[in-house]
Amino acid sequence: MIAQFFFIIFSLIALMSAISMLFLRHPMRVALALITTMLSLACLYATMGNHVLALFQVLIYVGAIMVFMVYVIMLLNTKDSSYLKRFSRYAIVAGPLLILAIFLFVPKLAISPISYLSSPATFSLASFSLSFITEYFLFFELSSVVLLVAVVCAISVIKGRKHV
Amino acid sequence: MFETNILLGLSLLLFLIGLTGAIIRRNLLVMLMCMELMLNAVILALVVLSSLWGNTAGTVLSFLIYLIAASEMAIAIPIIVHLVRSKKSLDAALFSDLKG
Amino acid sequence: MSSLTLIIIFPLLGFLINGLFHKFISKNWAGTLACFFPALSFLMALKMAYFVFTQGPITEDLYVWASLKETSFPLQIYMDGLSAIMTLIICGIGSLIHYYSTGYMSHDEGYRRYFSYLNLFLFFMLLLVLGKSLLLLFVGWEGVGLASYLLIGFWFKDPEKVIAGKKAFIVNRIGDAGFLIGIFLLFNTVGTLDLIDINQWFNLQTGALTSFMINLIGIMLFIGATGKSAQIPLYVWLPDAMAGPTPVSALIHAATMVTAGVYMIARLSGLYIHADVAMTIIAIVGAATAVFAATIALVQSDIKKVLAYSTVSQLGLMFLSLGVGAFSGAIFHLFTHAFFKACLFLAAGSVIHALHEEQDIFKMGGLFKRIPITAITFLLATISIAGIPPFAGFFSKDEILWNAFASSKGHFVFWALGSLTSFMTSFYMFRLFFITFLGKTRYPHPEKIHESPFSMTSVLCVLGLGSVVVGFLGVPQLLGHPFGIQNFFEKALEGTVAQVQLGTYTHETEFLFMAIAIFFAFAALGIVYFLYAKDLEKSSKLSQKLSFIYKTFYNKFYIDELYSFILIRPLHFFSRSFIKDFFDSIIIDGFLHGLASSAHYSAQQLSRLQNGRLQFYLLFVFLGLFIALSWSLYYV
Repeated sequence: MIAQFFFIIFSLIALMSAISMLFLRHPMRVALALITTMLSLACLYATMGNHVLALFQVLIYVGAIMVFMVYVIMLLNTKDSSYLKRFSRYAIVAGPLLILAIFLFVPKLAISPISYLSSPATFSLASFSLSFITEYFLFFELSSVVLLVAVVCAISVIKGRKHV
Repeated sequence: MFETNILLGLSLLLFLIGLTGAIIRRNLLVMLMCMELMLNAVILALVVLSSLWGNTAGTVLSFLIYLIAASEMAIAIPIIVHLVRSKKSLDAALFSDLKG
Repeated sequence: MSSLTLIIIFPLLGFLINGLFHKFISKNWAGTLACFFPALSFLMALKMAYFVFTQGPITEDLYVWASLKETSFPLQIYMDGLSAIMTLIICGIGSLIHYYSTGYMSHDEGYRRYFSYLNLFLFFMLLLVLGKSLLLLFVGWEGVGLASYLLIGFWFKDPEKVIAGKKAFIVNRIGDAGFLIGIFLLFNTVGTLDLIDINQWFNLQTGALTSFMINLIGIMLFIGATGKSAQIPLYVWLPDAMAGPTPVSALIHAATMVTAGVYMIARLSGLYIHADVAMTIIAIVGAATAVFAATIALVQSDIKKVLAYSTVSQLGLMFLSLGVGAFSGAIFHLFTHAFFKACLFLAAGSVIHALHEEQDIFKMGGLFKRIPITAITFLLATISIAGIPPFAGFFSKDEILWNAFASSKGHFVFWALGSLTSFMTSFYMFRLFFITFLGKTRYPHPEKIHESPFSMTSVLCVLGLGSVVVGFLGVPQLLGHPFGIQNFFEKALEGTVAQVQLGTYTHETEFLFMAIAIFFAFAALGIVYFLYAKDLEKSSKLSQKLSFIYKTFYNKFYIDELYSFILIRPLHFFSRSFIKDFFDSIIIDGFLHGLASSAHYSAQQLSRLQNGRLQFYLLFVFLGLFIALSWSLYYV
């Protein structure tokens, strides 16, 4: 009962902030709308019992990525043409297409039956880490590789071209 | 318990909104943020199905997506900084150097 | 390899050796080699001919060219009486002309090339007469056309000569179209291309084919013969073919190649016996050609052109003989004609050689004392061709004329036309002799005239002697058997060509016709003596009085101009305006250009998709996603 109420509230918040992302003019406000969406999604994960991911959502996504994003927005704060004219010329096509897609697909997906368990399982950090290290240990190793590669790439991009 | 279908529908909705936002908005950073929204929609779908079927695979995959999103941001932002430095503007309509 | 095939292979070897290794062979050796191989063939042919005449025809297999389910095309070499006579003529006179050419062409830089072409010609001609299948005959047919083209245009640096060569080949090819249709019809109806089997088939199954079909086949094959043997309407190449070296004219355009048509019809006599309409057409065309060509020869001024038209005329007589059913008579005339015409051409060559390439008879004269051997042999051959007994030409021509009248397919008109031709033949040949050799000399440098070398004069003597005596091989029964020789030709051709029934006429009638012919020959000689003996004044006055006729005859009845106007100019016009300017430039080039420009245009339009804007690409991602979702959500 409470769960359903939470689901509805958080879904609505996520939806509304996502939609508002399309219209807000200032990038900072768009970032804040995105943070709202993410936090409400984290609450949704928590309501479903997936505490691990709720945690990671807030920690990684909001805490690291969006903070970085806000820093960059503040860095590149220019009132240029993209500020004055928000929409590109493809908005004429994409907007109606979005409306069409929403009305065609979302109801179909939303009411198609999916078999489900009687009670949602809960995921604790312990069970998650256990399965990560035992069953999916390849991806565990690979993720360190990915991080290394990302660091190298970031440094090379920052350094830029070598002027030889 | 609850209609997971509605959450899947929400996931699709968020994804479509994110995609449209990437097409519509002119600001490069806003485009980037809409792509983050798309990633989040995918994670939502994964989480829903993972808890539906009691499988940790969805959670693990979601974790990996966080990883990738972080790395991607780390690389994308410097790229955008370089772009802005060359064109002096964040307007995506001005970037058509790879034409033809 | 068996002996008959060797006859054919020897000239081919000569061609290959002279053609491929000409850098390593000295000039003398090239000539010797080239004469050696035809001589070998001649000796071999003598041996095989003796065998054939005593024991009967010989067949040798080469190989099977193609083998389909029901039919196969075996290639075989065959010699019977007819082939033997032809082979002996080809090899014998061919060898003599090869030897003559070593003298005539000695100063030419294309010496080796000449001999390789000449050997090639011999190879193909032998293939033609010794082949048992129509396929081999046709291969030889085309091959001699090729050799003729190569030899007519031998001095290829002169464009006129090249044009003459092309004309010969192309006109020949037109006749070949008819020939091929004839072959196809034959194969379709009879089912085999073996010449002997075809003759037998026609003898056994007289009712199997409609007479329309038989006549059609006969006419089609005859069209091929008109092309090769220079009858109306495809004779126009032969006078132009005189552009080639004179030995070539002697060998190819007098003795051997142009007789291929006669040989072909004689070989298929079993067919032609049953094709009445075709035979009549052959006789009419032959007679008309004979008269027509003789009229043109009356007034020509080039020594070789007179002989060329004379050849056309004599071939017309041969076809007349074929048309009335006297196949062996035609072959006999072919035989004697080879001797005296070759002798005439080679003597003309000797004259040309002596006068340093002068060919206009009105610049000659008074040569009798200066080049006596040439003059005497020329005179002997002239008497022979005029039909004065007991020279060779008399017997063969008389046989033709008698058969033209007396055969069951003959007619008085044929005899009359033939006699007219003989009269004119005697006239123009003696005219040629008188103007060229007698009277005062009109040549500007008479002291430079010298007799030809031994290689040329020896051959002239042999051929001159031949044109005197070979007639005795075919003396008709009427006159008994002089020297104890039976009518060789009748005996030799007995099993090979058909015989036609003669009407019943008395011996007196035959003698009467013979006498009339002799009278005509001498009458012509008399008139020529009157007109041309002292000087040319009387004849030039006569030609001025009859100037219209003279001009028409001299300009060959303007036939070449007529052909050019009716056929060639419209063809050129059509080719240029329709094919070149419209079809080639607009349609074909337009099609290719259109392909290229449409590729270019579509590429240009497609490249507009790449405008470098990220959001444009993302829009297509959205569209793709839309399509995928609609498919997965609605159809799955």
